[in-house]
Amino acid sequence: MTPLRALWQSLCHWPLGQGLVGAMALGYGGLYLWLTGDLGGGGSGVLQATFPAWERVWETRSPFYFEPVGLIEAGPLVWTFSPVNTLFALGLGLLLGTNLVLAWRLRRVSRACGWQASGSTFLSGLPALLAGGACCAPLVLIWLGLPLAGALASITPWLIPLATLLLLASLAYLAMALASSAS
Amino acid sequence: MKGAYSILLTLTALMIPASPAVAEVPTVDPPEVPVAHTLEAFRQAVRSGGPGKDGIPSIDQPRFHSADAADAMLDDHDKVVGLFLNGEARAYPQRILVWHEIVNDELQGKPVSITYCPLTGTALGFHRGDAELGVSGRLVNSNLVMYDRDTDSEWPQMLGVAIDGPLAGQGLEEIRVIWTTWGAWKARYPETRALSPETGYVRNYRRDPYGSYNPISGYYLPESSRLFPVMAESQRLPPKATVLGFRTAAGAAAVTIPALRDEAVIDLALGGTHYSVIHDAVLDTGWVFHNPQRSEIRVEDLQFGLQGVSGGGTEGLSAVNAFEAMWFAWKAFYPDTLLYQGEEQRP
Repeated sequence: MTPLRALWQSLCHWPLGQGLVGAMALGYGGLYLWLTGDLGGGGSGVLQATFPAWERVWETRSPFYFEPVGLIEAGPLVWTFSPVNTLFALGLGLLLGTNLVLAWRLRRVSRACGWQASGSTFLSGLPALLAGGACCAPLVLIWLGLPLAGALASITPWLIPLATLLLLASLAYLAMALASSAS
Repeated sequence: MKGAYSILLTLTALMIPASPAVAEVPTVDPPEVPVAHTLEAFRQAVRSGGPGKDGIPSIDQPRFHSADAADAMLDDHDKVVGLFLNGEARAYPQRILVWHEIVNDELQGKPVSITYCPLTGTALGFHRGDAELGVSGRLVNSNLVMYDRDTDSEWPQMLGVAIDGPLAGQGLEEIRVIWTTWGAWKARYPETRALSPETGYVRNYRRDPYGSYNPISGYYLPESSRLFPVMAESQRLPPKATVLGFRTAAGAAAVTIPALRDEAVIDLALGGTHYSVIHDAVLDTGWVFHNPQRSEIRVEDLQFGLQGVSGGGTEGLSAVNAFEAMWFAWKAFYPDTLLYQGEEQRP
């Protein structure tokens, strides 16, 4: 069985896995948007949305961080909505969720077959956690009052593509492990 | 006849004014402020702040609304940067400036830039001619490095002198702006208009990414740490204690805000001459005058109005620009600064 087919089968024939991946994508995506500043407090308690700046959809504020086009208020929350940032957030969330769910499945398969599960499978979520953390690290460090925030500021944006690559590599590794366990 | 016709054409061509050259930002050359480090040292100390050039977008087509309309958005204790120029008062809320740092504005036909750096707590106004100032995305001593969109020269805001580009070594023309609260500004200038949150950009203007001034928290707490390296350090005050600073060709001086409030008028000797710093109790800021003859300032006769302070012995004294700053940043730019903390510690 090819790794891609093993990956496909693991997810497509496993509704619980799909649900878990979806939930993680939404949860992580929300956290990412909160920590990068697109999602925040200050809402006036009403539900309203305006989209006055669609022309800025491709304008960047820093590498891999785009201008919002709309303002969505929902209760206490304010979302300065950028479609591109949202896609990044959900994409990273999906990759993280898939990695974690597959790692869990591989561990279960390994146990059922009496193999020794590799501990490295549980490290597969680390790159995404690193990326999500990295995006907001300067803010967290500001809150903590640590001077390291300044040193991180220039490299932070580049941690997003790096984490994406690491997640894809990790996914490939898990898919190969699943394929070999199935054959 | 043909020769006369050519002469006429030539003369006509000479009389037609050439298309106006792109006006550069007006400068002071040499600058009237001290430059304590070499331009090369400043260039070496520049750091990326994270966002790219114009990643923090200046407001280039500002809109204003009435004080009544601004009341819906602003609390009386919210910080604003105030400008009174050519008979017109404008307030620029800190909660909008923190997302844009520069407003390229025009008052009564006079183009000005109102600039604010959240990391150093500094607000300065500059004449800009027909040029616009923008945010370079870089910092020196944590301070905003601006660039002008005509020559691409780079200007640290607190220095007011270009450190790179064709205008390197030249100074900007400064305008006094006031770091105060919305309630105080309205009390002094009831007819003021305020910058509208309709900036052309989408931001959450109810949230400050660094903390809050009302009440004070996060990055703005006096004891909290700075984020970026500095060119000079001092432990004499908490890093982010606010000082009112001024500088002249003779040097730089800073007074603490508690000392200013306590003493109402402070006389300082700097570079062989004297300056008077007068507390404005309504705006809670200071006005600085060059007072070489040490003329007596009569506190009871001082009058505070739209133009600032007058009377009480200030007649004939020349005003010096001053602005509030976090202590660590003031010291980093002006390591030889005089620091006045109160009568007991008079230098």
